[in-house]
Amino acid sequence: MKNKRFKILIGFILIVSISLFIVLNLYNKPLLNIAKSRADMEIKAQEILDDYRKDEIIANKKYVDNVIQIKGEISNISIENGNGIISLKDLKGESSVMCHMSPEENLKVLKLKKGSVITIKGVCTGYLLDVVLVRCIIINN
Amino acid sequence: MRKVYFILIIFLAVSKLYSQGKYLTKEGYVSFFSHSLVEDIKADNRQVLSVIDTETGEIAVQLLMRSFLFKKALMQQHFNESYVESHKFPKATFNGHILNYKELNNQNDETEIKGILTVHGKDKEVSVIAKFQFEKDQIDISGDFMVEVADFDIKIPSVVRNNIAKVIKVTFELKHIPYKK
Repeated sequence: MKNKRFKILIGFILIVSISLFIVLNLYNKPLLNIAKSRADMEIKAQEILDDYRKDEIIANKKYVDNVIQIKGEISNISIENGNGIISLKDLKGESSVMCHMSPEENLKVLKLKKGSVITIKGVCTGYLLDVVLVRCIIINN
Repeated sequence: MRKVYFILIIFLAVSKLYSQGKYLTKEGYVSFFSHSLVEDIKADNRQVLSVIDTETGEIAVQLLMRSFLFKKALMQQHFNESYVESHKFPKATFNGHILNYKELNNQNDETEIKGILTVHGKDKEVSVIAKFQFEKDQIDISGDFMVEVADFDIKIPSVVRNNIAKVIKVTFELKHIPYKK
């Protein structure tokens, strides 16, 4: 009899600790690793700019919160608060795709040149004066 | 000769006007901080757009809610999907007036900025004490203020009520440069 009760107790503790472990793991999950995750879509910088110029609400539904792999010509490179920002050219206007780079990419950013074509992967957060991508990494140039 | 002077003076006046026009940043910084007994929550946004009109002392700030980055994925998800509903209200804005802007000239000067803060589709009048710094061609504004979550009709489920503060501290740092077209 005692043996049975003991087994139930052990089982109960096991279930509680496993579920606690799962909950804590889920709760403490870090942000998505951009380098390791597959892009939801691959697109040219001009296409995303055209879509945003046409209709911001529809474009938001299509792009926001997705991992996007984007290809375009570098129109500007800057460093702000120790993080690189690469702007991709808008051929039809004054806007751009502003790619805010992850800090790990700083060394690579320094080697880039204006006018060259680059592919970048990042998360789209929306449109202000420019299309904004955050946590970006360089795929190739 | 007089004509030349006249043209020169006009030219100088126009160029002065031009240089006093609009100042802008696309890489402004805004963060918020919630302190509770259970946990501290902080999120940073480094993609803030801000424009100052030095003629009128008006300031307009815009930011994307999804640009706020949290440490934990679940916090960011709950923030966007449940609390501020970023799919419905992707942006937060502040439109304000810098009081006594013309009198600000020193290196470190403080003044009040009054305006309307819009978050989650709700307007709220706020007043902020901001620090101004003028360096070469740059206008830096920084400071912090408190906002009440309830003012913006943001509903927080009772399960996590103890995890999130009722009053949130917002910190900002905006470094404006002259706007060139």
